[in-house]
Amino acid sequence: MSRGFANNRMTLLAVGVIACFMGVAVRLVFLSVVDREELIRFVDRARRQIVIEHARRGTILDTHGNLLATSRSEITVAVDPWALDEYLSIEKNPAKRARRAAEESVKRARLAGLLGLPTATIEQAFTPALRAIKPADDKRDGKVDGLTKDRWVKVREGVDEPTFDKIAGLNIRGVTSERVYRRVYPGGGLAAHVIGYLNKEGTPVCGAESHLDLYLKGQDGWIESEKDGARRELAQFRSREVTVSDGNDVVLTIDSVVQHIIEEELKDLASKYSPNFATIIATDPMTGAILGLANYPSFDLNNYSKAPLESQRNYAVTDRVEPGSTFKIVAAGAALNEGIVTPFTSLDCGISSIDYKGRTIRLPKEDEPFGRLSVADIVAHSSNRGAAQLAMLLGEQRFYDYARSYGFGQSTFYPLGGEVRGTLAPPAQWDGLTISRMPMGHSVDATPLQIHMAMSAVANGGVLLRPEIIKEIRDPAGRVIRVFPPEKRNQVLRPGTAALLAQLLTGVVREGTAKGFDIPGFEIAGKTGTTQKLVDGKYSSTHHVASFVGFFPASRPEVVLSVIVDDARVPGGIAYGRVVAAPAFHHIAEQLIQYLEIKPVTPATRSFLAMQGGVR
Amino acid sequence: MRPPPAHSLVNRLIALTLLLLVFAGSLGLGAVWFRQEISQTANRNRTLAGKLADIERRLDEVNAQVAAAVNPDALLRQNEVMRLGLAAPREIQVVRVAGSAELRLASKRNLEAFSVAATSAAARNDLSFRVVTASLR
Repeated sequence: MSRGFANNRMTLLAVGVIACFMGVAVRLVFLSVVDREELIRFVDRARRQIVIEHARRGTILDTHGNLLATSRSEITVAVDPWALDEYLSIEKNPAKRARRAAEESVKRARLAGLLGLPTATIEQAFTPALRAIKPADDKRDGKVDGLTKDRWVKVREGVDEPTFDKIAGLNIRGVTSERVYRRVYPGGGLAAHVIGYLNKEGTPVCGAESHLDLYLKGQDGWIESEKDGARRELAQFRSREVTVSDGNDVVLTIDSVVQHIIEEELKDLASKYSPNFATIIATDPMTGAILGLANYPSFDLNNYSKAPLESQRNYAVTDRVEPGSTFKIVAAGAALNEGIVTPFTSLDCGISSIDYKGRTIRLPKEDEPFGRLSVADIVAHSSNRGAAQLAMLLGEQRFYDYARSYGFGQSTFYPLGGEVRGTLAPPAQWDGLTISRMPMGHSVDATPLQIHMAMSAVANGGVLLRPEIIKEIRDPAGRVIRVFPPEKRNQVLRPGTAALLAQLLTGVVREGTAKGFDIPGFEIAGKTGTTQKLVDGKYSSTHHVASFVGFFPASRPEVVLSVIVDDARVPGGIAYGRVVAAPAFHHIAEQLIQYLEIKPVTPATRSFLAMQGGVR
Repeated sequence: MRPPPAHSLVNRLIALTLLLLVFAGSLGLGAVWFRQEISQTANRNRTLAGKLADIERRLDEVNAQVAAAVNPDALLRQNEVMRLGLAAPREIQVVRVAGSAELRLASKRNLEAFSVAATSAAARNDLSFRVVTASLR
């Protein structure tokens, strides 16, 4: 072999190698530069994925930590009928294919049993079908005919996890699923108007769910990563990750048992009197914390879609009623607070008219004839004329100022919103009779919660508080991140005056309009109210708002309770507060005394065996 | 001094190249093994996170079931179904004990014990057994 041939061979080899390298280099240039964008787009489409991690919505708890609202996963079971078709068509051996088909058929029958559906429905779902789509989108199966394989046939929604585990265990070809979180309310209709609900789209509609959504909803997280051919995430290729932040838990001041007690009473009231609506509110007078708030009609939170809209209204804050005689605490409290009268000051309640600022004003009618009554008796017996004279002693402006100070005509700042302010016209808009009618609760309207909070001010030493319904916010780990302390709005009465008025209000059940509804030892203080409703612009003699608003024990108030019943139908009678509302108040109070372990104010004088340690 | 032979230099170069190749190969294999470990750990973590989410989901399910079972309405229904006859006490049934219940019970117990002791002492010879209480020990 000559040296020249060898040199040529080496040169040839070198050229070949260089050519190969050049080829590779050119291809690399094409891949990395010329087709780069298109290839990256393809890879992105094929491999990259963004996985959204949904935040778990926080729970709503009552004051003792009982669940009022929580989220539960539910599975929507669907079928891809073509998957089964493809699975069977892969098998070319007819005998084996028939065996596979038979096995799948048995599984489908079991599936029908687990889902509680007829086998025919399942078989229908597994029948391959085509569905129409827009021709522009029709590129999935290679043909542009406006039809595509229907690969999602929904079979059943709301399947629970244990049932789905059994379904997954069957390993049926073509069964697919989607996990969704649904809000559940373990108490059903318990505190429905306070809790509110999430609709099917997950949008909070009303109540705590809506107004505290910011705390409850949390923050979704996401992960950018890649997936393999089976669409499984390749966790090692996670490039960016925003961690999910679950929603906070909201603790309400509501006590489930108190709430249940008042809801049961509302049911009784509804069955007895078929009212237009009724509201019962129970609060802690010292903090303004709402222990229970219920309305009739109400609804089941788990079946909100079947409930009429009227039943979803929180009447305690959305509707106004004339407060009637419960408003007399304004005139009585103001006159006592200003030192114009004492409980023993007597006023002539037998007169039908009175001179006031140079005019003769007709006084309102009384339910029963009275003569001279002391202020204590005016409160106990709910004298309209007495209340009117007390307001006249105060004068329009001072009386109006006190009514405002009690919270009438303005928002209570109910934390869950949706409330109306009520109407309290300033003296400039009053007619000649208003000074005699407003003290008995006419010419003014208020929400049940406004009336309730006004009475609460008498109970707690004269302080008008904001009603509290949110106790605290807890993070997902259970740490308290925000508390909601009581909020004082203003001082309505001096503490001494409030205590005095509280004692006068005990006369209502002892000897006054609600006589017989006292609970010995527990000093029930309250005020009945019976208001004629305005029907077609006139006060009706057949439609009334009955109310009883009070608290107990008067000298050491622990609960403020309001029962307000709109348009109760009392067979053959008038829906007086003492007939409709006072018995309900009394019944609830008896139960609350036991449940809240309220001690009697006056000590028991009976000699009990238990005090001696039992029978020897 | 004589320079080293040319083939010795070539041998050393080849040896160094081989060493470099082995080193580079080891590094490469190490990197592959390392990446494999990362993949496995990442996927294990993903699986564990999935299991954790699954457990939390089931916990929520159980919590919801428990809450539904212990809500006042459900408990009252159970009370009726199981005919337990449980009811909240009424005020008339409640005896409120003023003062310390412990002291009252202790004094009652002492009274009992001393009277039993006195009786026992008086009739020691007659009794076939003796009542022993804490106060007699």
